[in-house]
Amino acid sequence: MELTQTHIEELYKFTRAHYVEHYDVQTELADHLANDIEQIWSKQPKISFEEARDMSFQKFGVFGFMEVVEAKQKQLGKKYAKILWGFLKEWFSMPKLISTGFLFYFFYSFLDLQTNAIFFIVVVLLLVIIETVLGIRLLKKAKQRFKAKKRKYLLEEIIFKTGVFNTIVLFANFFQFINFTEGITAIWGKCVVAGGFTLAFFFSYITLIVIPQKAEELLKETYPEYKQLNAL
Amino acid sequence: MGNQKLYKGSLQTILLRLLETNGKMYGYEITQHVKELTKGELKITEGALYPALHKLEADGLLDVEVVKVGNRLRKYYKLTTFGTKETANKLAEMQDFLKTMQHLANPKFS
Repeated sequence: MELTQTHIEELYKFTRAHYVEHYDVQTELADHLANDIEQIWSKQPKISFEEARDMSFQKFGVFGFMEVVEAKQKQLGKKYAKILWGFLKEWFSMPKLISTGFLFYFFYSFLDLQTNAIFFIVVVLLLVIIETVLGIRLLKKAKQRFKAKKRKYLLEEIIFKTGVFNTIVLFANFFQFINFTEGITAIWGKCVVAGGFTLAFFFSYITLIVIPQKAEELLKETYPEYKQLNAL
Repeated sequence: MGNQKLYKGSLQTILLRLLETNGKMYGYEITQHVKELTKGELKITEGALYPALHKLEADGLLDVEVVKVGNRLRKYYKLTTFGTKETANKLAEMQDFLKTMQHLANPKFS
């Protein structure tokens, strides 16, 4: 016996109730459960849909869908890192390398002033404020997006949420670094700090602006079904 | 049935070999196919199958295709070009491993 549309919808709800939030993971699990339920029914046609579903779910072991979700998070986390690295590399090849050089020099000059760390604090504070504003805007956008679509993909969540948190944490940690900047006199030391800030700047720019702008393109590339489902 | 742990380290190679032979497959189909091929000797659990497939996908060895089948969406896995190359390497590694194990299990004293 084949499962009805209502059964399939029930399976999506079931995965959601078992902590699978993302549509891409839900789809794979719902199909797996559906296949297994049909198989169970072929041998035991008298048992109910719920009983067959629970029998199938038990096969996932004591942790339920957790292992599947974790593996998917790792896979897409890796993919996100690759995307980020791809955009970051662009800033270290011509013609963008010139802008990178200027930015590096900008940070280096502040360190070279040798007055005190106050200039540096002001610059970093300014960047943190800009970043926080951009981050909040992005999180709001994510909320509206997920509400409107009623489904969210794991990569979509990483793009709109994880990236924002990583960036804020990164820059917040840089404040601790400022304590060391006062005592740095060696050229290599200043180069390391200025290089670190340059990298952090690009990291934030890419995660907060570039990748979210390309979200649709990246989602279509990752999920073959994305385009057709969003057209419905 | 009791020696499932022995198969654990070879799960990825088994999956790659299956996809090399069958073209594209979906998760449930893989579990059933393996059960059938091994006459129930090897049962790939759901908790092990999907993490292994997702790992192979993350490493660029597998590609996915989603097809609407009846009233639901189905995700098929297939080998990438890199995956095809890696399957050959992993199978060669597995053959070496089997030879070594055979030597260890049946040492020839000369």
